[in-house]
Amino acid sequence: MRIGVYICHCGLNIAATLDVEELRRFAETLPNVVVARDIQFTCSDAGQNTIKSDIAELKLDAVVVAACSPRLHEPTFRRTITEAGLNQYMLEMANIREQCSWVHMDSPALATQKAKDLIAMAVAKAALLRPLETESVPVSRDVLVIGGGVAGISAALDLANAGLRVYLVERRPTIGGYMALLTDVFPTNDCSICVLAPKMAEVYANPMIKLMTYSEILAIEGTVGHFRVTGVTKPRYVDPTLCKGCINECSGACPVEVPNEYDFGLGKRKAIYMAIPQSVPLVACIDTDACIGCGLCAEACPADAVKYDQQSEEFKLDVGAIIVATGWQPFDASRKEEYGFGRYRDVVTTLQIERMLNAAGPTRGEIVRPSTGEIARSIAFIQCVGSRDHTVGNPYCSRICCMASLKNAQLIKERYPDADVAIHYIDIRAGGEGYEEFYLRAQRLGINFIRGRVSSVEEGDDGLYVHYEDTLLGKTLMKRYDLVVLSIGLEANRDAEVVGNLLGLSRRPDRFFEIAHPKMRPVEAHIDGVFIAGCASGPKEIQVSIAQGSAAASKAMQLLFKGEIELDPTVAFVDREKCIGCKLCVDTCPSRAISVKDTAFVDEARCKGCGTCAAACPVDAIEMRLFSDEQILAQIRAATAVKGEYPFIVGFLCNWCSYAGADLAGTSRIQYPTNIRIIRVMCAGRVDPSFVLEAFRRGADGVLVAGCRIGECHYVSGNLHALQRVEVLRGLLREIGIDPRRLKVAWCAASEGDVLARKIQEFVEELRDLGPVGTELAAALPSGKV
Amino acid sequence: MSDAAFREEVVRLAGDEIRTCIQCGTCSSSCSTAHLMDNSIRKLIRLVLEGRRREALASESIWLCTSCLLCTVRCPRGIRPKAVVSALRQICEREGISSRDASFERIFMDQIRSKGRISEVLLSAAYALRNPDAAVPIMEMGIELLSRGKVSLDPGTVKGMDEIERIFRELGND
Repeated sequence: MRIGVYICHCGLNIAATLDVEELRRFAETLPNVVVARDIQFTCSDAGQNTIKSDIAELKLDAVVVAACSPRLHEPTFRRTITEAGLNQYMLEMANIREQCSWVHMDSPALATQKAKDLIAMAVAKAALLRPLETESVPVSRDVLVIGGGVAGISAALDLANAGLRVYLVERRPTIGGYMALLTDVFPTNDCSICVLAPKMAEVYANPMIKLMTYSEILAIEGTVGHFRVTGVTKPRYVDPTLCKGCINECSGACPVEVPNEYDFGLGKRKAIYMAIPQSVPLVACIDTDACIGCGLCAEACPADAVKYDQQSEEFKLDVGAIIVATGWQPFDASRKEEYGFGRYRDVVTTLQIERMLNAAGPTRGEIVRPSTGEIARSIAFIQCVGSRDHTVGNPYCSRICCMASLKNAQLIKERYPDADVAIHYIDIRAGGEGYEEFYLRAQRLGINFIRGRVSSVEEGDDGLYVHYEDTLLGKTLMKRYDLVVLSIGLEANRDAEVVGNLLGLSRRPDRFFEIAHPKMRPVEAHIDGVFIAGCASGPKEIQVSIAQGSAAASKAMQLLFKGEIELDPTVAFVDREKCIGCKLCVDTCPSRAISVKDTAFVDEARCKGCGTCAAACPVDAIEMRLFSDEQILAQIRAATAVKGEYPFIVGFLCNWCSYAGADLAGTSRIQYPTNIRIIRVMCAGRVDPSFVLEAFRRGADGVLVAGCRIGECHYVSGNLHALQRVEVLRGLLREIGIDPRRLKVAWCAASEGDVLARKIQEFVEELRDLGPVGTELAAALPSGKV
Repeated sequence: MSDAAFREEVVRLAGDEIRTCIQCGTCSSSCSTAHLMDNSIRKLIRLVLEGRRREALASESIWLCTSCLLCTVRCPRGIRPKAVVSALRQICEREGISSRDASFERIFMDQIRSKGRISEVLLSAAYALRNPDAAVPIMEMGIELLSRGKVSLDPGTVKGMDEIERIFRELGND
C-alpha cells in the first residue's frame, strides 16, 4: 500500500495553532506513507493538482488529507482522486481543523500532539481501505398508490401526468375517500364533491392509471426499484364492463335494506348499491352480507350486468415505488360513554352532520333531530371528542375538528338564522391561511362560543342536557339542546396495519405511520422507495393531503425517472461461513434489509449502512464495506499507540449528529480539552463492544459513545441499540474490574456543539477524579500486592 | 403572591400531571358538589399552579369533595383532581388551618384507628357534639334508622388492629 499524506494549512486556520512542519515530518515516518506534504489550501485547484500529480507519479494507492471535516470536503477530495484514476473510496480525512486547531487554540503543543494521533489514525485506516464499486440497477418505473382518497388521487394524477404508469388500489367500491362524503369544505365553503368529482373522473379516464377498486393488497416483497406486489380484487357480482350505473333499476328491485355506511348509519341502502351518486367507477356492487339471493336485481338489470358467479381475481404488480395513502378512521364516539352516542338518538357525530348538511344526503340538507324528524332549533357542537384525551389513548389534537365545526356551525346558521348554535371548546385552533378569518366570520354570524369541555350529556324529556363549566365565567352550568354534534377526532386507520406490516413501516406512539424525519422528510418512509401521503401519517386537512400527495408523487418521480438507481456500496455484508442464523441482525436492522434463510442475507438496495447489525452480530459474521471492524480497530490502536496525555479518551461519534455537533463546536470556536481522539462512525449503533474493550485494553482512560438525541436517530433506533449495548458493557466492565463510569454516553444534536464540548470537559474532570485506567484494579487488591 | 414551594409540594403529592392542566373544566362539571363550592376544582388547580397558597388553602371547596373520583376518571390529561384536594387537605391539617368541616375527617380517622371500622351512630354523635348546629337536621333521620335497626350502636372491632395501628404509624400519624 502506497499512501500520500497532505496536511493543509488552511491559511492560518490550522497553521496558527498546529506546527504543520512537525506534523509533516511525523507523517513521513508512518508505515505505508511514501509522501507527506503540507499545502496552503489543499482544496484549491493548485492543492488538488498536487495530489493528482502525486497519484500519477508516485503510484499512490490511497490518499490521506489532514484538513477540515470530512463532512465538508470529503466529496471534493473523492472527486480529486477519482480524476487521477483512484477509486473514490481510497480517501481518508484527518479532521485537524474543526476537531483540533479550532477547539484547542490555547494549547498548541497538546493540539499538535493530538493532530499527530489523528493523522496516524487516518493513515492506519487508509492502509486498510478497499476500492468499492457503485452499482447501478435498472428499476421498474411503475408506481403503486395504495388508497384512493384525495391524497392518493392527487399522487396518482401527478405521476400519470408526468408519464409514469400508476396502479391505484382502493379497498372500497369507489375512490374519493372521506372527502367525497363531506358537504361544503373549509375555509372557502365550496362544495366538496363538486371540486373532487372532476379529479375522480380524471383518474378513471387517464390511460396511465390502472384503477383497481374493491381491491386489497395481500403481499409485498422485494425492495426499492422492484417491489413485487400481490393483491386481490373482490367480486362485486356486477360486470363492470356491462353496468351502466343506472342503479335505480337494480336497487329499486332489491327487497333488502341495511344502514348505509356512507351515511354513517343515518340513511339506508339496498343490498345492491352504489356508494355515492358520483362513484368512480360508476358500477353497482352487491353486499354479500346483506344479499338474500332472491335474484330480483338480475331480472331488473336492463344490461344483464349482474353476475352471481363472479370470482375474486388475484393480480400481481412489479413497481419501483409505493405511495401509502391509506388515510384515517373516525374515532368511535360510543367509547365516550358520558356523551351518550349510540344511546341517545339526537347525539350525532361530525360525519353524520356532514351527511345531513349534504344536499344528496339522507335528510336532503336538513338538520333534523333523528328522534322526531323535526328541524333542530338548538344545536351544540362538542369539541375534542376522542382527541386530546388520555382516557381514550389519543393525547394528540386531530387538527381539523375546530375548523370542521366552525364550518358546519356556519352552514347551519346560514340555513337557519334563528337557530341557537353553540360550540363548546377547549381551545379554538384555527392556524392556516384564511382560518382565523373563518373563525371571525363564525363569531359575526352569532355562533355562541362556550369555553369549557363538556363533561356529560343527559337525555331529558324535552331534549339533551349538556353539562359543562363555562371556565371564563367560572360557573358550572347545564344547557338544553335539540341536537348534539360530537366533533370526533381522527385515528390511524386500523385496516392499514396490514399494508404497514407488509412494508415494515414504523408507527408513532399515536399509531399513525412514522415519516423519515418529522420535519425535513415529510412524505418519506424509513423504507427506501416507500412514501406516505395524507392522513396515513397523522390528521390533516384536505389541502395538506393534496400537497402531500403531490410531494410523494414528486419524490417517486425523482427516484424512478432515470430508470435506474445507484446502490450505495458502503453497506453491510454477511460472511456466510461464520453466520449461525440467529436472526439478531433481523431484529436490529431499522431498514428491514436483512433476512435469514439458513444464513443472513443483506439486501443492499435497502441497507443504509448504519452498521448496527455488525455491532450486534454475536459471531462477527456481519462486516461493513466502509467503516469495517479492522479499519476502526486500526484507528483505535493508532490512537492509543502513544498515550500523549492523561486522561486519554477514545470517542466514537455518529456522523449525523454528534460528529456534526463536534464540527459545530469547531466552527463556533468553542474550546474544550485536547484529551479526546474522535473516531467517526455512521451511527452510534455501529459501536461494537469489541471496540470499547480494545480501547480500554490499549490503555484508554475513558471511552465516549455519542449519537443523536434519543428519538432523533438518523436510522430510527441505532442510538437505542447503542444505549442498550453500553449498559450491558458497563456490567461487563464492572466484572473485569474497570469502573463502569469510564464508559460514557452522550446524545447531542448537530446544533449542540456547546453540549458536546461541555460533555467532553465533564468527562475529562470525572476521569481525573477516577485516576488512570487500572487504578481501581490496584485498589481492589490487598495493599502491598500491586 | 406566588409561592413556588407550595406549588411544588402539591405537585409532589398530587402528581406531575397537574402541570399539564388545560383548564377545560371537565372536572368541575363532573363534580356532584360543584354547585356548593366557592372555587371550582378547575380553579383550585389554577390557584395551585399560580402558587396562590393562601387562596387555595382557604377555599371551602377542599372540604366539599366527596371523593366520587368522577373528575379523575374523566380528566382528558390524566390528572387526578381528587389527589389535589387530598394534598390541600393534608397541608391544611399540618399547618393547623382551621376549618369547620375538618373535624369530621378527624373523628372519622380516630374511629378507624380505635375500631378499624366506622359506627354511623357514634360518628354522627361525636360530630354532633362538636357541631351542634349541624346535629339538628340529622337527628331525626338518625333516630329513624336506629329504630329500624339499620344502624347499630356498637359495630365491634375488626381483626388485626395491630396492622391498622401500623398503617397509621407508617403514614406518620403518631
